[in-house]
Amino acid sequence: MGMERPPTGHDVELAAQAAAGDRLAYGELVRRHGSTVRGLLRRLGADAATADDLAQDAFMTGFEQVAEFRGEGTFGAWIKKIAARLYLKRVKREARLIFSDTIEPLEEISARDASSDAASRIDLDEALKSLSRGERLCVSLCYGADWSHGEAAEALNIPIGTVKSHVKRGLDKLRAKLARPDEGARREAHG
Amino acid sequence: MAEPDFEAQLTRMFAQAPSFPDAALFNAEVMAKLDRGWAMRRMFIAVAGTGAGLIGAFQIFGSRFSNELAQLSREGSHGLETEINGGWARLTALLSTPSSAEAVWLAAGLAVVALAFAVTRLVEDF
Repeated sequence: MGMERPPTGHDVELAAQAAAGDRLAYGELVRRHGSTVRGLLRRLGADAATADDLAQDAFMTGFEQVAEFRGEGTFGAWIKKIAARLYLKRVKREARLIFSDTIEPLEEISARDASSDAASRIDLDEALKSLSRGERLCVSLCYGADWSHGEAAEALNIPIGTVKSHVKRGLDKLRAKLARPDEGARREAHG
Repeated sequence: MAEPDFEAQLTRMFAQAPSFPDAALFNAEVMAKLDRGWAMRRMFIAVAGTGAGLIGAFQIFGSRFSNELAQLSREGSHGLETEINGGWARLTALLSTPSSAEAVWLAAGLAVVALAFAVTRLVEDF
């Protein structure tokens, strides 16, 4: 049975073992990528409980479909795509995803949080709060889940141009938020 | 900061997994779910196998019973024999013809498989 064997090896090897029914090998994959998937779902906009539920569902689905993982990409990217699809499915089912070019931004929350400790470094999770829901979703899908603009457009059922504009605006906001204070000062000095 | 540099930096930041204090608990919950799903599936396969076995047993029993009843009917009165034989003839004609019997039991088998598939999907969705 190999019950005491500690699973080792590359993700692709572990996935192959999992496809053959080795749940310990899959458990190692869960251990390696669990936090990444949970983090991605939070960054997409899920609350903590929903993110963890969906992350569990993603790994369950991943186990069912692990035979389809051939190692063309990384296992992390593969499982993140599954998780992102599940999140979008949940959001659509709950009719919370309303896309338009005038999505109300969450600036107030971000500004309040940022001002509470202005000197501290604003990390990615904090910076994402400054994005509108659409911008956050598109940026997180494209940069966090490795989706192409086309894949995001298809999954979100919106034109690819809208995805690109959400990403563009999201990147602009993130760049401003993530810029180091000295960098910002240097830019200002140069006019 | 140039756009490609920033995009690369952003990709790296997204790739950095946040640290969760309950990571071990999360892993354990996933594995428990996997074990539960696996156990339910095995149980369902066992139930489906038992059902298929019962169907097979009923088929054998029904076949023998029909033969015995036909034998009895032959030994009975002519009128009764005629009636029973007439009815049985129609029933056994359906089941005793190789192609018909095969079709009936193939359909039953497919129904069991379809039911198994449906329940499996339901279990997965649940």
